[in-house]
Amino acid sequence: MDEQKQVTRRDFLRQLGVTVGAAGLGATGIGATGYLAAPARAAMKPKGNIPSTPIKTGHITFLTGPAELLGGPGLRGHLLAAEEINAQGGILGKRKIETIQADEAAGTDANVKELRRMKLSEKIDLFTGVISSGNTPALGPVAEELKVLTMFNDGCTDFLFDKAVPNPKYVFRVTNIQSADGVTAAVGAAQHWPKARKIASIQPDYSYGRNVHEHFTLALERLTGGIEVVAEAWPKLFTTDFTPHITKLLSAKPDLLVVGLWGGDYVAFYKQALRYGLFDKMKVATTLAFGGVPHAVGKDHPEGVLAGVHANYHFLYPPGDQWPVNKKFVDTYHKRWKEYPSFESDGAYTTLMMYKAAVEKANQLTGGWPDDEAIIAMLEGMGYDSPAGYVYIRPDNHQGYKDAVTGLTKNLPEYDFPVWDPNSIVYIPIRSITAPPNWPKPGQGGNNESTAAADWIKKTWPKAKA
Amino acid sequence: MILGNNGQRRSIAWRWALAIPVVVVLLAVPAFAGAYWTQLLTYGLIFAVAALGFNLLLGYTGLLSFGHSAYLGVGAYSVAFMVRYWHVSSMELYILGGVAATAIVSALFGVVCVRYTRIFFAILTLALSQVLWTVAYKFFWITGGTDGLRVPYSDLSLLGGLIHFAGDDTYNKFIHSYYYYVLVIFCACVVLMWLIVHSPFGKTLQAIRDNETRARFLGVQILQYRWLAFLVSGIFTGLAGVLWVPLNGLTTPDILYWPQSGKIVFFTVLGGFRNFSGPIIGAVVYNFLEAWVVGFTQYWQFALGVILIVLVLFVPGGLVGTLLRVLTKTTTSMQTKPKALT
Repeated sequence: MDEQKQVTRRDFLRQLGVTVGAAGLGATGIGATGYLAAPARAAMKPKGNIPSTPIKTGHITFLTGPAELLGGPGLRGHLLAAEEINAQGGILGKRKIETIQADEAAGTDANVKELRRMKLSEKIDLFTGVISSGNTPALGPVAEELKVLTMFNDGCTDFLFDKAVPNPKYVFRVTNIQSADGVTAAVGAAQHWPKARKIASIQPDYSYGRNVHEHFTLALERLTGGIEVVAEAWPKLFTTDFTPHITKLLSAKPDLLVVGLWGGDYVAFYKQALRYGLFDKMKVATTLAFGGVPHAVGKDHPEGVLAGVHANYHFLYPPGDQWPVNKKFVDTYHKRWKEYPSFESDGAYTTLMMYKAAVEKANQLTGGWPDDEAIIAMLEGMGYDSPAGYVYIRPDNHQGYKDAVTGLTKNLPEYDFPVWDPNSIVYIPIRSITAPPNWPKPGQGGNNESTAAADWIKKTWPKAKA
Repeated sequence: MILGNNGQRRSIAWRWALAIPVVVVLLAVPAFAGAYWTQLLTYGLIFAVAALGFNLLLGYTGLLSFGHSAYLGVGAYSVAFMVRYWHVSSMELYILGGVAATAIVSALFGVVCVRYTRIFFAILTLALSQVLWTVAYKFFWITGGTDGLRVPYSDLSLLGGLIHFAGDDTYNKFIHSYYYYVLVIFCACVVLMWLIVHSPFGKTLQAIRDNETRARFLGVQILQYRWLAFLVSGIFTGLAGVLWVPLNGLTTPDILYWPQSGKIVFFTVLGGFRNFSGPIIGAVVYNFLEAWVVGFTQYWQFALGVILIVLVLFVPGGLVGTLLRVLTKTTTSMQTKPKALT
């Protein structure tokens, strides 16, 4: 694309609708069409006869290993939503939620077997959870085969709805799509460190890491121009020793390092990197430094690092005075679990609450307990005021979209762990960083990129003057 | 040579008679068990085929392979490649292609490995299997990397196109048809392996296992026999990989990773590697056990670890070995001396 339009970086960021600082919340708005299933509207009287048998939900997530830092809060978000719903007598006042759990760490093949067990043997009504992007492309098609209504929390790879389940019927996903993660980190980096040109990258060696690397470098090139990738390190997922990778990164002397490590991997990485003074020698942009439970990262973590939350949610934002839904969620979550929620907590909590809202709305239309088709019809195009802001489920690909957010780490006296510097938070309207509906999927309509998002960025984004 | 005396012949006939009710029960399973248990049992039967192959090396040739994930994986990936690159949908072609691919790989690996025994053999097989794992993991533009490659059952056809699963709501039909398909192949494999281990070839392998030096003095070409055993073992395991992939729906590098080899060792030890039926029972039981433990507790690794320790310390003969010992003890008064178990 040599004939690209050239713009200044500032104009570019303005065109994307990027805002910085706590006051930028005004930008997180309702940009998409769709109806709003606000939690406050849930008080309508159920129609028809509702059975009192419980709703069985299956929840597979990481209960052991380094990824438990993400899976644990997810499960707690799910359980909190179930408890809140059950305290009101259940969905439609009658059907309480029961949860069957299983450990995602058992591996993809065991997860496939477990989903089949949950549906065929336990007869679950709803399947939720799943963290790893290696697992949703395996479980999505199985869920479609089994015709089990599925709302993935995460496992946010673009591949799921681009390729593995291109025309989903039963499968939905609530948290933001993966390509938004790398692009959000790039926008955050372009905002805070516009002069960084020599880029190094350390990513877990699987689809997520490759996705982050590709979309980060692609977007940053457009945003700042003239970047050069000077080093790449690809440690295996769930590695604990990063020393050889750290020395390789240091020797390349980059201006900026992009880190896609997550869970226990990130914690191990930053502690080892501290010993080498890595954070003093380069700027660091992460996609998931604040991805686990907030206290997983200690106050020894350096300040001024771009700490990603998977482009989804941090418990302090949107601020409670501006967005009471979040304040209420954080308070009840903290009271219940004695810790602050993570983006997985919000994702799993919102999943159940959206399911509840869809059932209630379908009940108003059909009476009695709605069948899956009716619930699906309500989920498609649903908008919901979640703790993280407004979430919208796009009907064409069943993917949840909400405005993306990231910020720089800072130690504030109120918390035992680092949080975001309120003045550094970058908000990005999600429509500015994701491919629009019906953009050709990979392999179709002249899209030869790995994702619809990459193709869309290459074909439509201007290039900032270097 | 093998059916030398009447006593042995009677004992063998008795065992085959015992197999009849087992087959009858297996035939009836889908009628009363439902789709979930049927598909779980299908997994069990498939891994039993792999275990049969594995045990030809461990139980009959005395070689512990810690790299049998390689042949499962080659079988599975060759099917996935046929689907992805050539859009093949016939199960029979999968079997042909998968078996041919595993035969080539195990023949090559065998040449390298059979020159060694004991720990050296185990480490070599492990290393070679991890080379294949790395290829599947790293060459993601060909292999799909950790996303793996899908082999959807909806595109599958059995018996040269007689049975297919296109259309809506075909999952139960697939599970039932596929179960019987696997059952037939499983039975054929059991008979074939039984014939192999009781043939002069099988007996020679056992002679090598028991005393290599003596076998060599008798003029046995040790390396050639070991290589043939390695080849047959790999082919059986590869066939299991071929059968596994449409049932699982996809293959990822996990199938090539060393814990998969560990699992094959696990269920052979669980059933007992010193007898013919041990690995079969072990594979089936392990599949139920794993599915149950993973669903039952988040400490599933701990639970499986405890079971393995108990097995090695207290039940070294495995489930079948121990059961046979108990049976032999109770009937010992009827027999002059306990027979060697085959």
